[in-house]
Amino acid sequence: MLLSCVRAEKRKLRRSPIWLLFLAVPAISAVYGTFNYNMNRGILTHGWYDLWTQYTLFYAIFFFAPLIGVYSAYLWRLEHRGHNWNLIMTAPVRPFCLYFAKFCAVTKMALLTQAWLLALFAIGGKFGAGLTGFPPPEILLWLLRGVIGGLAIIALQLLLSMVIRNFALPVLIALGGSVAGLLAVSEGAGLYWPYSLMIMGMNSNRTEDVMAGGIWGFLLSCSVFLTVLLLTAGILLTKRDVNA
Amino acid sequence: MQFIVQTTALTKRYAGRSVVNQVSLSVPEGSVYGFIGPNGAGKSTTMKMLLGLVKPSGGEILLLGKRMEEKNRLELLRQTGSLVESPSCYGHLTGEENLQIVAELKNVPKKDIDRVLEIVELTGCRKRKVKQYSLGMRQRLGIAQALLGNPKLLILDEPTNGLDPSGIQQMRSLIREMPQRCGATVLISSHLLSEMEQMVDQVGIINHGELLFQGKLAALRQHSQGDISLRVLRPEKALPILGNLAKPDREQGTFRLPAMREELLAELVQRLAVGQAGVVELNRHTRSLEEIFLSLTGEEAK
Repeated sequence: MLLSCVRAEKRKLRRSPIWLLFLAVPAISAVYGTFNYNMNRGILTHGWYDLWTQYTLFYAIFFFAPLIGVYSAYLWRLEHRGHNWNLIMTAPVRPFCLYFAKFCAVTKMALLTQAWLLALFAIGGKFGAGLTGFPPPEILLWLLRGVIGGLAIIALQLLLSMVIRNFALPVLIALGGSVAGLLAVSEGAGLYWPYSLMIMGMNSNRTEDVMAGGIWGFLLSCSVFLTVLLLTAGILLTKRDVNA
Repeated sequence: MQFIVQTTALTKRYAGRSVVNQVSLSVPEGSVYGFIGPNGAGKSTTMKMLLGLVKPSGGEILLLGKRMEEKNRLELLRQTGSLVESPSCYGHLTGEENLQIVAELKNVPKKDIDRVLEIVELTGCRKRKVKQYSLGMRQRLGIAQALLGNPKLLILDEPTNGLDPSGIQQMRSLIREMPQRCGATVLISSHLLSEMEQMVDQVGIINHGELLFQGKLAALRQHSQGDISLRVLRPEKALPILGNLAKPDREQGTFRLPAMREELLAELVQRLAVGQAGVVELNRHTRSLEEIFLSLTGEEAK
């Protein structure tokens, strides 16, 4: 049942304009990051690690959550348009599967976005910044951790876009949430705010690993946020009347 | 008679106001049932309750012999096709891709797509993006989505809305054939009885959330016999014979009689002839189905 819903979501993303944003947003971060790195070579002396700080400075703090917000809002906009809510809610599938399929689709897009950022990081580092060798292996771990931290953002943005019919408002909430997330991380309260988790996971704007002391608190926080958000979505979809 | 849809005292209230009030529908298996009422009468809300989209405030729903409740919902939806409010589709995808999405959700084999496209005569446009479809084509695509998986029950909410006369004609013949061609019972709503007349066997008329009439179209037609107007040469001789039965009209020598059985009317004319009233004209006013519908729903032009 879930697989059918996942396949249906995959089809809906065909020829979608969302793929343009998927390509453009990490590219903007890469161009900006490489330019910034080249302008500050005098103080940025740790090669690939310093380049990473410049790449993630804007990407993790200002771009990632709104981009997830756009992915989520787009997938729900398809259902908010016309009377598509009636179509999906009269399909013989559990309502939660409809939500979870969208969660899987956005997670896959987030993974692809991170992979695209990694490719841009390698190309930008080699040819834009003239760095030698290859990106350090920790980068791959940080990107994966970014996705794990991003799962709570995905669940939250999907929930917001499911409830709010407006496209832009959930994206603005994601932007505000990210700024607040940066403040929470700097105050040491990052584990208590979903938008901070991705910033922490990505080791944004740091050369040393912020989670060197242990990853369990991070994983626990991700799990708690994710469980609460998924349960809320399931309850809303089952208990509310469909208002197409 | 087997009923494929049966509701008992079905009620939906929003903020204390009943939009559907104690509606007891009985849709016979294999029929095309027209659910008719003016805009805002409660048709869509009733249909949404049948499909589990809206939770009833009271009453009971039996679909295909089973209670519509959470544990039966998926099983019942598997055997039901629907088109509620307007066709639901994704404009950036082709007609075929839209059907593939529904086929995935219904877990129906892909070859069923060819069958339903043929039924709704969209095979030639399957590769065209839906945003380029006309409204009529979208409506037919919506019906094709509903037909995927060979449902036993089709619930169609105003599928002729916004269509031009030829589109309505196409839709009418398509729906008329459903019971024979696909073995499906059809519950179809409309705000126009005239549009349904050539399509349905049974009708249910709803207004202000209440079911005003339910039965065969022929039974509704029995309501069509209206007043009788009688003109005589000598009204002073006719008056004692007619007594309280007739009201004199404004026109001299003309009376208005209520609808009555033909035997009674014949007997009355006989008595008028014996009484030398001089019957010169007798007209039975027959109401059209639309007029009956309007008088039932209280929407008749005053």
